[in-house]
Amino acid sequence: MRISSLLHTVGQGFRLLFRNKSYSLASIGTISACLFLFGMFYSVLTNFQHIVRTAEEGVSVTVFFKHGVTEEQIDQIRIAVEEREEVAQVNYVSAEDAWASFSEEYLGEYAEGFTENPLEDSANLEIYLSDISKQSELVSYLESLEEVRMVNRSELTANTLSGANRLIGYASVAIIGILLLVAVFLISNTIATGIQSHKDEINIMKYIGATDLYVRGPYVFEGLLLGFLGSLIPLVVTYFVYNKAVEIITSRYYMLTQLMKFLPVEEIFTTLIPISVILGVGIGFVGSILTIRKHLHV
Amino acid sequence: MSQNYRSAGSPDNDETVILLDNVSKQYTNGAPAVNHVTLSVREGEFVFITGETGSGKSTLLKIMIHELVPTEGTVRVLGYDLNRIRHGKIAKFRRNLGIVFQDFRLLKDRDVYENVAFAQRIIQVPGNQIRRNVLNALDMVSLSDKYKRKVTQLSGGEQQRVALARALVNKPFILLADEPTGNLDADTAWEIMQLIERVNREFGTTVVVVTHDRGIVSRMHKRVIEMKQGEIIRDEGSTPAETYDDFEDDLFEYQDVDSDGYDYED
Ligand SMILES: Nc1ncnc2c1ncn2[C@@H]1O[C@H](COP(=O)(O)OP(=O)(O)OP(=O)(O)O)[C@@H](O)[C@H]1O
Ligand SMILES: [Mg+2]
Repeated sequence: MRISSLLHTVGQGFRLLFRNKSYSLASIGTISACLFLFGMFYSVLTNFQHIVRTAEEGVSVTVFFKHGVTEEQIDQIRIAVEEREEVAQVNYVSAEDAWASFSEEYLGEYAEGFTENPLEDSANLEIYLSDISKQSELVSYLESLEEVRMVNRSELTANTLSGANRLIGYASVAIIGILLLVAVFLISNTIATGIQSHKDEINIMKYIGATDLYVRGPYVFEGLLLGFLGSLIPLVVTYFVYNKAVEIITSRYYMLTQLMKFLPVEEIFTTLIPISVILGVGIGFVGSILTIRKHLHV
Repeated sequence: MSQNYRSAGSPDNDETVILLDNVSKQYTNGAPAVNHVTLSVREGEFVFITGETGSGKSTLLKIMIHELVPTEGTVRVLGYDLNRIRHGKIAKFRRNLGIVFQDFRLLKDRDVYENVAFAQRIIQVPGNQIRRNVLNALDMVSLSDKYKRKVTQLSGGEQQRVALARALVNKPFILLADEPTGNLDADTAWEIMQLIERVNREFGTTVVVVTHDRGIVSRMHKRVIEMKQGEIIRDEGSTPAETYDDFEDDLFEYQDVDSDGYDYED
């Protein structure tokens, strides 16, 4: 493309945008709304995933052994379990350790009265998972071992967390999908209006020998511009809303912040900015291409 | 310009710029608007197409500029096979044509200069040449002094002269006009027709004019193709090939807008 036709495309594109102010604003508004919601969902989701991941690190499976199982046998099982893919870490807790922490926590100085370890069979393995969805699989493996007396697991937490995670994901995809369609529709209408009002001019251009690129360029650029502007506004808004929301939650629900830590806005934005801009420009592009196909066949 | 065209003409006849062979056009229903028409136009010729209303004149012209594709027959214009021209080449093809309409089709929100410069921008003439070319074209139609006027503030004849300047500014090989004087009074119509005749004479531009104005046709002594119900019923006054031999005009030299536009791919 020559510089002159690039200038033509850009210049006419801007002119179209301003000639059709109300339509342009409606389009930018819808894209903004769409991408703002996307930004919100993305922020919540990312934080949620972050929280789940943190929680997952604490989710463990505890394995207790039958009476008479020796420390060597337990160690063998530990090595076997560590080999497994979904396992992040395995800690051996001996009966003495278990007694020590129990007595320290609940008995204090009264523990002196015990000469034998009342938690004789309480030697156990604490297994931490790297992939929480594989928990059931691991548990049934452990239960199949003959040395194993009991397996304690925290299935409820794990399932709830990943279930909620998925639900938020689906909901956001659905809502954003609908808004996306509305945005494409509105952009398409905006561009169609521009084409309608330039119908005669476009006709003459074709008689004179304008290339498709020359005729269509401005309308494609108008679409890209609408999409780009529509992606900037929600980014700015999201930035302030996010920080404010974190501030409010942190100050009002102090307890909550003990449980979870929010991601800093910068971390969210390093991915949210490119995704939003690409989405916005993409919506604009699709909207304009669809319209041009329909209204600008030569 | 002549050299360029001659070297590129169709192999059987070096000077034929428009060739229609057994061309018919039938719109979705009804009788054919153009019915088995065969004609050829040589370089530098001035041709009138006349006939009663509905006889297929406009349809024929639209076939020549590839606005319509015939339902039957072959069309070659300036070496382009219009039956098989690729979509991407249509713009290139049209750059060789100057087209004028009965209703002028000017950009009403712009002034005279912009209306003519528009045509130059579309074919991406370098900015520094546009001004000179536009003023030359306006000079030719005697509108240099009104170049800043809004076209809506011009008379019909003046508007058609702007349209003519726009059609000529890109220095076409062929000028095609559909009832260019249809909206004008007799004197103004004659003026416009004289102007077109001058373009043909001075620059050797091939001219095809559709008109139903018998008075003008009979006064001009040009080739006349008469149509009736889609068929040619008369074709006479064809000018001998030798008439248009030496055209030299430094002021308005034809630029080669499409040096590789001749399509031999068939
Ligand atoms: N788009 C169209 N669809 C269907 N029929 C058409 C169309 N355009 C023209 N026709 C018909 O084709 C025939 C020829 O029309 P055309 O416009 O070529 O005539 P014309 O000689 O230019 O007439 P006029 O002198 O009135 O301009 C007419 O019968 C007309 O009704
Ligand atoms: Mg007609």
